Amino acid sequence: MVELTIDGQKVMAHPGTSVLDAALANNIDIPRLCHHPELSVSGGCRLCIVNVEGNPNPTPSCGLTCEDGMSIETQNAELYQTRREIIDLFISEHPLDCVTCDKSGACLLQKYAYEFGISKTSHEFEISKPIYQDDNPFFIRDHQYCILCGRCVRVCDEIVGARAIDFAGRGFECHIATPFDDPMKDSTCVFCGNCVQVCPTAALTPVSRLGKGREWELERVKTICGYCGVGCQIEYALNDGEIIYAQSTPDAPVNSEFLCTKGRYGWDFATDPERLTSPMLRRDLAYELGLTSEPWVLPDRSPLKVRKPKIDDSFIPVDWDTALDLVAGTLAKTVNEYGPDSVMGLASARCTNEENYIFQKFMRLGIGTNNLDHCARL
Amino acid sequence: MNFSTLEEVGNKERQRQEKYQRRIFCCTSTACLSAGAGQVHTTLDQAVAACKCDEHEAEVVKTGCMGLCSSGPLVRVEEKEVDPVLYGNVSQEMAQYIVSRHVPMGEIEEEVDSEEQDESVTPHDMLHYRASLRRARTQTELDNTIISLDHPFFSKQVKVVLNETGRINPDKLEDYLAHGGYKALAHVLDKMTPEEVCNEILDSGLRGRGGAGFPTGLKWNFVRQEGAENKFVIVNGDEGDPGAYMDRTVMEDDPHRVLEGMIICAYAVGASHGYLYIRGEYPIAVDRIRKAIRAARRRKILGKSVLGTKFGFNAEVRIGAGAFVCGEETALIHSVEGKRGMPRIRPPYPSTSGLWEAPTVINNVETMGNVPSIITRGAKWYSSIGTEKSKGTKVFALAGHLRNTGLIEVPMGITLREIVYDIGGGIPDDRQFKAAQTGGPSGGCIPAEFLDTPVDYESLTKLGSIMGSGGLVIIDDSTNMPDFANFFMDFCEDESCGKCIPCRVGTVQISKLLDKLISGEGKPEDLEKLDKLCQLVKSTSLCGLGQSAPNPVLSTLKYFGNEYDILVQPTQTVEAGES
Repeated sequence: MVELTIDGQKVMAHPGTSVLDAALANNIDIPRLCHHPELSVSGGCRLCIVNVEGNPNPTPSCGLTCEDGMSIETQNAELYQTRREIIDLFISEHPLDCVTCDKSGACLLQKYAYEFGISKTSHEFEISKPIYQDDNPFFIRDHQYCILCGRCVRVCDEIVGARAIDFAGRGFECHIATPFDDPMKDSTCVFCGNCVQVCPTAALTPVSRLGKGREWELERVKTICGYCGVGCQIEYALNDGEIIYAQSTPDAPVNSEFLCTKGRYGWDFATDPERLTSPMLRRDLAYELGLTSEPWVLPDRSPLKVRKPKIDDSFIPVDWDTALDLVAGTLAKTVNEYGPDSVMGLASARCTNEENYIFQKFMRLGIGTNNLDHCARL
Repeated sequence: MNFSTLEEVGNKERQRQEKYQRRIFCCTSTACLSAGAGQVHTTLDQAVAACKCDEHEAEVVKTGCMGLCSSGPLVRVEEKEVDPVLYGNVSQEMAQYIVSRHVPMGEIEEEVDSEEQDESVTPHDMLHYRASLRRARTQTELDNTIISLDHPFFSKQVKVVLNETGRINPDKLEDYLAHGGYKALAHVLDKMTPEEVCNEILDSGLRGRGGAGFPTGLKWNFVRQEGAENKFVIVNGDEGDPGAYMDRTVMEDDPHRVLEGMIICAYAVGASHGYLYIRGEYPIAVDRIRKAIRAARRRKILGKSVLGTKFGFNAEVRIGAGAFVCGEETALIHSVEGKRGMPRIRPPYPSTSGLWEAPTVINNVETMGNVPSIITRGAKWYSSIGTEKSKGTKVFALAGHLRNTGLIEVPMGITLREIVYDIGGGIPDDRQFKAAQTGGPSGGCIPAEFLDTPVDYESLTKLGSIMGSGGLVIIDDSTNMPDFANFFMDFCEDESCGKCIPCRVGTVQISKLLDKLISGEGKPEDLEKLDKLCQLVKSTSLCGLGQSAPNPVLSTLKYFGNEYDILVQPTQTVEAGES
């Protein structure tokens, strides 16, 4: 461990930790735009500059490694002024459309402009890259809001491994692009949307979110993704009961801020009218049990050949008690009559690890059989 | 193959050269080629053939830069027991005159069967040449094109890196060997430990010639002391300053010198692989370096066993794609790795984590060019040239409003006045000296009052400029300084990589302010804003490009502030030349 002083406060840090990370771990906030805890250091936004004792020039703290005996100053009038001038440069090419912007309230640039009290640039305003791309159904790329922090490029390279995007062009024309500026679908993009997640401004916005309410109006619901056994945590943003977009939060234990394309964009089933919301019982069985008065009639044509079979034709909804009683009763009867090995259990890959564990426990101890398998093995 | 075999090759070549009564050197460096040296060389060849003289009377040698590029194409005739003669602005016609003046005419053998003749010269051509050559004997205007070799342009220079350029054929390894080439490498491999090599370079006081002036020996020692398995050497030939062509010339005209310096460096730091990163706009340099590498491989100067020792080293060429920022070492490393050339935050420095995260030495072409001479002639000799903190010589590309422009090599500590008035021959057209711009777009303008400043790293930095890689533009009083600063600002604006905000947007805003001022719409407070913005870009940019981009503006604001003041006074218009 090395010991250094940040703003007069003694701070311990592991060797190799950056000054920025050490400060954040000790609740000392330093403004930053391009830094992301899960990604490599960029050093492009120049906001996290700090004064190091003995060094005449301010140094970006994200790329500064903690050393024993270092003395760091993160706030003073001069640093404040420099940071303010940098924000001023950012908004000299970033339209201040905050009144209609979907990102308003969650935009980092807006946050800092507010903190530094800048309502308007002191420079001549010019948009450097007026490109608008809606070439895919998942997210739009509105380059005029892009501040070239490079988080999207790094997440695509370092976390996803798709390497679909990079910086292109030089100087003022520099922008984030797919190879040869081709449509996103022709690139190696897997549409996981992690770039959208880490984007600090409105440059990358989910299509589903456009015009669907302000950030602070949205209701947040946390859940676990049901697509596979990894168990990623998802936070849905809802407006009036309707899902607007899905994201993850840094505190998610398994996946941090990252999701795959299914978790992030495959949530339309949640409010689909055809979604099953209660157990369904086969109609013939229900008739036998006296739960319905209508007997099941074999359809004229094979159900396999009916283009869109209606579920109500063959099933009736029942409550959980009825369904579980029926299943438990039938299982118990089978085990009693034919022995435990007459039963086999097949679990789903979409269950979590914990659910699968409970399931095998139930099969082995409750039923008493090792006839057990899992669909992911198929 | 050990060095004695190579030495023999060199000796043979020297003996071959000594057999010639006279040797006619024709510069085929880019500057002279663009002035027509290609045709001049062909004409010289044909004219000598047409003379039908004895085989050992004359040889035409394709060689490199002789320095006075403004008078190109240049041809130098070296005759035994006669002082060498240098001809400037040589045309094809003049090339024939030169041959007729110096080369004796042999007897024409009438009965020679035409089929036996050299195919490149038809009988008709030969008769035509001989006729014109005879006519040329009476020409006296040739004397007007002779450039005196006693001229201060030559006598004030001290040649170390450029010692062999203009004397040897860059495409011939034998010629380099005949001039003592690879002797330093052989000495190092035979008699010195890597540590001794690093210390020798450190003692010589050699500092990086790319501009920043970091002690080369220190850098080598850092890499030598790293315990990594893989280490790399990179030669930075991505010279991009407008008007500067020192590295191009060294690579084009003495490629083996760069290679030798690089191999010595590799031995000193323990690297087994190296890259020469050459600017894409330098096709001739790429071509000649590649030829040099090929020749060195065949002679086992490169390969698994360098000169028969256990030390192995290989070199490869990487061609830049035209980005100025790739001259910055971390951007260059990304480019060699095949990534987009963008600088990254330092530390870690390349000496600890460079190419593919291995310890890497990156040195400029000129720095590497100094190394063989330091080894051969000793650190003591080298450190006797120059000032206390800046040792050795520096190559400058002298350009702008001067009588003599071209490539010069001067000892450190020479004053600007000597460069401008003695070597450069002063300002033409009865104009006055106004400023010297050093270091290209990253440097600053030095006004007349500092003409007696010695040219070394510290003095130039103190004046708000930098040594830079060696661009030196002299400006006379017809130049408007805000316009001049704006040119360089536009350059940096275009060449910014876009990674950090001060450089990407700051340079654009500085440019906008300058445009506003120059068009006469500026207000006095704009000057203050300009200064503030320049300071911001200088102090907060990520790499050297951004940190030095405002230098032309800041230095002109400092020394030629009155020209900016006039711009913001509403009723007056600026007259070019007011200072």
